[in-house]
Amino acid sequence: MVDQKGKRFRKRDLVYVVPMWLLHLILPDPVSHRKKEFRKRDIYYLGAILILPIIWSDPHVHHLMVLGGINAILALGLSLFLGYAGQISLGHAAFFGIGAYTTAILTTRFSIPTFVAFWASAVTSSIFAYLIGRPILKLKGYFLALATLGFGEIFLVIIRETPSLTNGVIGIFGIPWFSFGGFSFDTYLKQYYLIWGVLIGLLLFSKNLVRSKMGRAFLAVAVSEDAAASVGMKVPQIKIAVFVVGAAFAGFAGSLFACVMSTANPEAFGLNLSILIVMMVILGGMGNLWGPITGAIFLTWLMDTLGKYQEYSLPIYGVILILLLIFFPEGIGTRLGMRFVYLISYFPRKKRREEGKTG
Amino acid sequence: MTLLSLDKITKEYDGVRALDQVSLQLTKGTIKGLIGPNGAGKSTLFHLISGMEKPSSGKIYFKGMDITSSETYEISSLGIGRTFQTIQTLMNMTVVDNVLAGMHMRLKGGFLSCGLWLPWIRKTEKEALNQAKEILEFLGLLGRWEWPASQLSYSEQKMLELGRALAMKPELLLLDEPAAGLTPAETKRLAERIGCLKQEGVTVFLVEHRMGMVMEIADEIAVLHNGKLIAEGTPESVRRNPQVIEAYLKGKRLDA
Repeated sequence: MVDQKGKRFRKRDLVYVVPMWLLHLILPDPVSHRKKEFRKRDIYYLGAILILPIIWSDPHVHHLMVLGGINAILALGLSLFLGYAGQISLGHAAFFGIGAYTTAILTTRFSIPTFVAFWASAVTSSIFAYLIGRPILKLKGYFLALATLGFGEIFLVIIRETPSLTNGVIGIFGIPWFSFGGFSFDTYLKQYYLIWGVLIGLLLFSKNLVRSKMGRAFLAVAVSEDAAASVGMKVPQIKIAVFVVGAAFAGFAGSLFACVMSTANPEAFGLNLSILIVMMVILGGMGNLWGPITGAIFLTWLMDTLGKYQEYSLPIYGVILILLLIFFPEGIGTRLGMRFVYLISYFPRKKRREEGKTG
Repeated sequence: MTLLSLDKITKEYDGVRALDQVSLQLTKGTIKGLIGPNGAGKSTLFHLISGMEKPSSGKIYFKGMDITSSETYEISSLGIGRTFQTIQTLMNMTVVDNVLAGMHMRLKGGFLSCGLWLPWIRKTEKEALNQAKEILEFLGLLGRWEWPASQLSYSEQKMLELGRALAMKPELLLLDEPAAGLTPAETKRLAERIGCLKQEGVTVFLVEHRMGMVMEIADEIAVLHNGKLIAEGTPESVRRNPQVIEAYLKGKRLDA
């Protein structure tokens, strides 16, 4: 449902009218499209993702999109926990790390195929999430944030202090490329398709989840635990379940990250990353699924672009984040999405209105 | 047949005795009203029945089962639905999703089957949507089924909360001041709907301040005053009870 703010037609929207008219010919009508089944026109979205790296055939862009895709998987998992179930986690990078290290250890020490390690990573992350979630998800708000933060730090310490298994601060090198059935994903382009394939799979999974009874349970828990319990929802179990699903997503992402970078190093999974993931979800927009993906790609791109400015990059980064939070408090994805939905559905709505008048 | 029975319920908060040895019986298929001045312990009693708080002593039986120490979700899954005095509309969802949320435990499916959108999930979701629309039609909210719940008016949100409780198909419905903040016309419509529910065999336990409405629809009335049950019986007998008159008149004088 579109918010009232998005419904007013502004003069500046006239600028968009021509491209929007062209877009509405190919894109689905979002209002009637909402919550519906997979449609033929979704293929256009898929087509755009497939063609993009071929049109823009710059290896650096491919690599950026690979990292953006991995971050998007992370943000997608966290958005279920943060944006839907309304709980906060500042230790999400730890599950990412657990996934990466599981793949790293299994492939380098035990030469297990990456495809098996990929699934094993998600399972390991989920198991850890379950064990940790049981005690700490009784906490709320700041306390939960601190507990998850502590878990993230403990994870780093354990990684650094067990060199026999994890190679300590040096990290594990020489993780093989992701391969499946003899096909090795050894270029950035192939990795792009791999990661976006996984992302789309997980996106569909999340979409199904949030439109089913589970999604309603997440949203109910976020607003009122009393009301949720009064209709028979098992609130603690629901929180643990969504935490576990988020961790499994992070496990997948971690495994892909290890295969793409071919190293696993404790520095990559610290508090910085945890906060970055939270930023992606908040900037992108909470309570919808493509918001975090937008946020992840935007932040990945932003950090890469700002890398040029060396020592000025962090202040600029900070200023941009603050400005975005001031002007897009409900998230870039949500805000753009609202206008996008409004504008794209302008012509179909007009048509419907006219039909209503005559009929 | 007794559906719910409270046996000498006492609830203390740090020395304040909110409920004192309250014993009540609810007969299946009837409407029972619970009245009393502010602070008499009516809402506390509801919290105890729905398991959100535990009594200091005493037992609660539902259909002969001891539910005193059960969790809230266990009590709800036995068939006790409730609404809240301060409305707890799920503001981040649409109107129809609010009702569908009430069906949570009646719908099959776990995490994986929901995520993979397996055929039976598709089927149950579709059926659930139709049922939710029927409930919304009963409550007169069908025209706004796709609205965000946050854009409904206060009285509509009260109705929606009733709808969420109804979606559970409860045997016993606890209504905590359903008519508070409603206009006389809306109150009348609400009373008619509660009457409809009674015909469908739902037992209703109702806390209400509007004496007119309670007297009209309730089969039996219990009166709480300072945590004690001071009267119980038909509306007529309660109205004539001198203790009740005293409690209410005193309360009114203090209020004014």
